[in-house]
Amino acid sequence: MSVLEIDNLHVGYELAAGTLSAVRDLSLSLAAGERLGLVGESGSGKTTTALAVMGLLRAPGRVLGGQIRLDGQDLVGLDDRAFAALRLARVAYVPQGAMNALNPVLRVSDSITHALRDHGAPADANRIADLLAQVGLGADVARRFPHELSGGMKQRVCIAIAISLGPRLIIADEPTSALDVVTQKQVMATLRQAQDRLGSAMILIGHDMGLMAQCVDRVAVMRDGLLVEEGPVRRVFHAPEAPYTAELIRSVPVIGQDRRAGTAAPAAAADLLRFDGVEMRYGKSLFGPPPAPALHKLDLVLPDAPRILSIVGQSGSGKTTIGSIALGLLAPSAGRVLWRGQPLAATPPQTFRREVQAVFQDPYSTFNPFYRVAHALSVPLRRFGLATGDAARALMEESCRAVGLDPSLLDRFAHQLSGGQRQRLMVARALMLRPRLLVADEPVSMVDASMRAAILDLLVDLRDRYGISVLYITHDLATAWRVGDDILVLERGHVVEQGDPDQVLRAPSHQYTRLLLDSIPMPDPDRPWSTAA
Amino acid sequence: MNRRLLAGLALLGLLVLLACLGALTVDLDDARPLSADVAQPPSWDNPLGTDTAGRDLAAVLVVGTLLTAKVGLLAGLIGIAVGTTLAFLAAYHGGWVDRVISFAVDVLLTVPGLLVLVVIASAWPGQMTTTLMALVIALLAWREPTRQIRAQVLVMREAGYVRMARLSGQGSLAIIFQEMMPNLMPYLGAALVSSVSAAILASVGLEALGLGPRDEPTLGMTIYWMISEGAFLRGLWWWIVEPVTILVALFVGMYLVVIGLDEFANPRLRSLK
Repeated sequence: MSVLEIDNLHVGYELAAGTLSAVRDLSLSLAAGERLGLVGESGSGKTTTALAVMGLLRAPGRVLGGQIRLDGQDLVGLDDRAFAALRLARVAYVPQGAMNALNPVLRVSDSITHALRDHGAPADANRIADLLAQVGLGADVARRFPHELSGGMKQRVCIAIAISLGPRLIIADEPTSALDVVTQKQVMATLRQAQDRLGSAMILIGHDMGLMAQCVDRVAVMRDGLLVEEGPVRRVFHAPEAPYTAELIRSVPVIGQDRRAGTAAPAAAADLLRFDGVEMRYGKSLFGPPPAPALHKLDLVLPDAPRILSIVGQSGSGKTTIGSIALGLLAPSAGRVLWRGQPLAATPPQTFRREVQAVFQDPYSTFNPFYRVAHALSVPLRRFGLATGDAARALMEESCRAVGLDPSLLDRFAHQLSGGQRQRLMVARALMLRPRLLVADEPVSMVDASMRAAILDLLVDLRDRYGISVLYITHDLATAWRVGDDILVLERGHVVEQGDPDQVLRAPSHQYTRLLLDSIPMPDPDRPWSTAA
Repeated sequence: MNRRLLAGLALLGLLVLLACLGALTVDLDDARPLSADVAQPPSWDNPLGTDTAGRDLAAVLVVGTLLTAKVGLLAGLIGIAVGTTLAFLAAYHGGWVDRVISFAVDVLLTVPGLLVLVVIASAWPGQMTTTLMALVIALLAWREPTRQIRAQVLVMREAGYVRMARLSGQGSLAIIFQEMMPNLMPYLGAALVSSVSAAILASVGLEALGLGPRDEPTLGMTIYWMISEGAFLRGLWWWIVEPVTILVALFVGMYLVVIGLDEFANPRLRSLK
């Protein structure tokens, strides 16, 4: 008996210009205890499907046809009260941003109590402690506020609420996309255990094929509102039927495959960038001990030859701080930063600015919404006195072509471009200025999976064809291995390991590196992962 | 375009149109005392009636609307200019500059504005002019804009495009005027209108208390004369209804424009529709 059956579901947004279909002809079924991965890139309709199942579609979105049956009961056309009674009790939801899902003014116990009481279930201290224990949290967490918990703990609280009424179906919408790999593995293990204990069905929504391979029994791949492929996880990964599925699987970087390392640096190369005992402490405290350093006596050398140095670490490891210091946006609390043998402070600002450029993580905020995107490229050309007018335009168009973009995109506004296009434009901007060093801080973490490999290849191109060194900052060991000539593993401001990626990642000497390596989800359904937390 | 903004602009436009038409058709010298018979109801010669000092109310209202608008615009513009400058200094510079400015705003915001204005304005008994009054009101008009715009700049300062602009070699001034200001425009527009509105309210308050310019027939002074000459007791209804109607239209119009611009500047309100 299936828990959930979706028949020919059609969801559309009724706009003034006509109906926009978000999901078409979708049929799925899910048995008790089964885990289904719903995979797709942004705009594929995966979240819309989940919202339709929970009756949370907002106008102008509407179910235009088909059936959604939960334990045989058709949900299409139920009124709001019926859906409200059904949510949490029979269909529970684990949201994407656990950071914002909990009410900041309520203690954890109150958040859980509210959820239970709304459905007329008793909520006493024992019940709450029991729920928290089921997600691996101590009873003391009940008295805390959300801001006192880490991201992983908050997501566990969300899971505790989701399982509190023993739902038949759990929908987890990218539950770990805001967490780093180590926490992601722990949270997924918790979620799986809780679901196994209840025997409920689960839909895991996401875009990471690696995570799917490690967590689900069956995979459904969606693209542009259509189901592209559906099947058991081993079959899908070993013999994908749709080319798109194969492309998604290939786009997951795997350590040991397809490395793009450059040539070895000449032994006698001078330094391009050197950190000497750099320390960084944020804030000052009048009372009590000084704050723990974000960076602890860091030494780092980048030779004056085209190289890619990958800096890897969890959130809070200090990797972004290194990037900001290298860009001169942040002055270290102690230690020296040398740029081509000169102290950073003594380098003429205009020269240094041109020689060190950046690509940042968030492709949505890096363009000023007021201007067409060409503005972001023309300003540095004018400021650094490189080109103006027609010459500038020609340079901009040339570098757009070099990164595989149509130059006509320059006349659009940022909100008209996809995340991948914006990141490519940022690489084009860097390329055009011919810096000596590019700081790329998580350049692909907010970009759709199929675009990631292409953007990383562009970084490799910068090194090989244009002789630009790259500081590649990431939490993802696999991509760090793929493009890096050297790797540096950071843990809480300390360097735990550094050297040639092949040696560091194939034979890690430090247990922290091993922990990171074990936590990476890989596109291999046979690897034990979330069960071994 | 949203309906509130349109309605507000239409209302304010109507007032401007009436004032311009009036300025062309009415002899503005009749706004002085003893230009006509006293306390006459509307008639062919004085279409809006006259007051107890023999001013032609049609001329008074045309001159008064323009003078009141002048006080509001002058005080409001000074308030926004000073407020924006302080806000950028505080938010962009940070550190002790921010602490001093924020502290001053926090403290001054708790002071009842009209009380301070009454004390200051009473330092010039009988010598008050509209320009002087605008300057007095401007003394306190920068507090709200400073706080509001500082908050906006603090958010914008962390935006990716501001960091990118620094990497593009833009200096602080270029970042403020080329990168931040354009995005702040709808917000500054709304802040300006609400600042003008607050300044007009303050000026009418001062005038109704008798601290306004006695030689200039602003809308607030008309209210003052109307109260002190006992228009209510004597049943001179036209003298009461006319200035009050214009003031209400003025405030409702500006309120609608502020709400409309807010919707424009604040995407969260826009999506709530």
